[in-house]
Amino acid sequence: MGQMSDLDRQIEQLKKCEPLKESEVKALCLKAMEILVEESNVQRICGDIHGQFYDMKELFKVGGDCPKTNYLFLGDFVDRDFIQLKRFYFYWRSRYPDRITLIRGNHESRQITQVYGFYDECLRKYGSVNVWRYCTDIFDYLSLSALVENRIFSVHGGLSPSIQSLDEVSRFCFITPPIKLSEYKMESTLFVDKNNRPQAGSASRWGMCDLLWSDPEDAVDSWGVSPRGAGYLFGGTVVTSFNHSNNIDYICRAHQLVMEGYKWMFNNQIVTVWSAPNYCYRCGNVAAILELDENLNKQFRSRGIPSRKPAPEYFL
Amino acid sequence: MAERKAEDGAGDAEERDLKAAGGERLPEGRSGVRFKGWVIESCKRFILNSAEREEWEQRLGTSHLPEMVFGENSLCLLHEKSGFKIHFNAFDALEGWKRESLPPVEVPAAAKWKFRCKPSQQVILDYDYTFTTPYCGSEKIDQGIKVLSDDSQCQLTWEDCNEQIDLVALGAKEPILFYDEVVLYEDELADNGVSLLTVKVRVMPSSWFLLLRFWLRVDGVLMRLRDTRMFCAFVNEDDATPTVLRENCWREATFQGLSLKGIPSECVAYSDPSEISQKLPIISHEKQCLKISR
Repeated sequence: MGQMSDLDRQIEQLKKCEPLKESEVKALCLKAMEILVEESNVQRICGDIHGQFYDMKELFKVGGDCPKTNYLFLGDFVDRDFIQLKRFYFYWRSRYPDRITLIRGNHESRQITQVYGFYDECLRKYGSVNVWRYCTDIFDYLSLSALVENRIFSVHGGLSPSIQSLDEVSRFCFITPPIKLSEYKMESTLFVDKNNRPQAGSASRWGMCDLLWSDPEDAVDSWGVSPRGAGYLFGGTVVTSFNHSNNIDYICRAHQLVMEGYKWMFNNQIVTVWSAPNYCYRCGNVAAILELDENLNKQFRSRGIPSRKPAPEYFL
Repeated sequence: MAERKAEDGAGDAEERDLKAAGGERLPEGRSGVRFKGWVIESCKRFILNSAEREEWEQRLGTSHLPEMVFGENSLCLLHEKSGFKIHFNAFDALEGWKRESLPPVEVPAAAKWKFRCKPSQQVILDYDYTFTTPYCGSEKIDQGIKVLSDDSQCQLTWEDCNEQIDLVALGAKEPILFYDEVVLYEDELADNGVSLLTVKVRVMPSSWFLLLRFWLRVDGVLMRLRDTRMFCAFVNEDDATPTVLRENCWREATFQGLSLKGIPSECVAYSDPSEISQKLPIISHEKQCLKISR
């Protein structure tokens, strides 16, 4: 009971954008790890947030506040903006474990957070890398996908040629012990199966990376490779056969910016959802969340915001 | 809110200085100034929506565009007397990208991905996904403004010259009467770095100065900087042909090359190109002067 009121106090503090103590972040992260294996009953699906904290508060207003509404977030909560979001978010997750489900995005990796700002931000605000380390440790406990009512396959990136069926997905993804997945740039990370045994073959490891990185692409029919690497491009045929053989209605994924906030492809067999409005504070894009009713009928809710003027600079 | 107030404060100071120098802001709803015979205007809108993207893809003959194309963004500098106009926009820049069509820069991860499948089983997209462009601005004589005599067929050319833009003088903190930064396009290279084309402008009592910058960082592979600077000193407002100087400076280095020289090669250090630009070797440097001939 004492702990709950602590959480409530901390949530209030985070709402006011006041930072927490390092020890509090640590305790919170440990709590989040304990909880992350649980299931939930999803009513809203959100795409990339990229740490746009104020926008996420707005998004909860549009989509229905927690804990009354259940949310599934498709990864990429961190980077490009404020650390508050992340702490706030894990907070919420710890406070309402059965209301919010998180799955992992490609930004939820140690290396990517080092490049895109989260690492620097932790260092700047706490003067040490500990907070970054506590948070990134949680990444290893995040699921790589979620199946909503056996009808909507939700994943951050997309499909993989190494994974044909949901059985394979669940073998790789819903794992009780931590799965140490860094992204494709991984060096010394350990891969384990559901029995915590290291994976000898590389297929599963690659498959997991693909789930985080791949993109649907009109220009290819089956599989394609982009010269910039990381993940596959997959076409309509691949999606049709995956959905059919796994008996699902459609795939819901994030990972790519869409001006309209969401985009259906391949005859409504896959939808991209993007939930960071006015991305990087200048794109002017609309953010969307996918809203499901009890029959899983879908509807999108969206909003956008204007951009701001830069301060003058004596550039040369 | 505090930030917003500070911005407004700066805006007021800008406007006071502008009026004192004899200039005026463009009417409400537009962003720019009319000053010393020039109309300098920036336009900032949003990224292309899906329908517009399709249209651009068709017009450009490509099925790939940067993730964020600010199709209606532009910076325009019009010399009212001559009708001479310099402008910057994403479409012309992407036409330059299509024309140059560099071979794709391969990232280490891509090679790993490629080897996972037999080549017969997959399509490999080969295009310059870095969107590198030789674009250094568009210019024309605005026919709507018939100031020059009717029979004149004006030609605009950039001719090589020895005169350099005086960056030392530009370092002096003259008041800035108008400033803006306009993004033309941007791509995060699927989280493998950044490709960014922007143009910044500042207008001072004595001159205007702008920097069009193409900045590319392919993490672990290479950095490329293509800068175009333009400068025009306000000498005589009645001058029918302003003197505009242009410098194109291209720099490029591989991460490997940098680490051989003992320069740290973690991409983390290079989020801001200004910090690394001096360390990148110059590939080419042109100094030019605008000629308007009849």
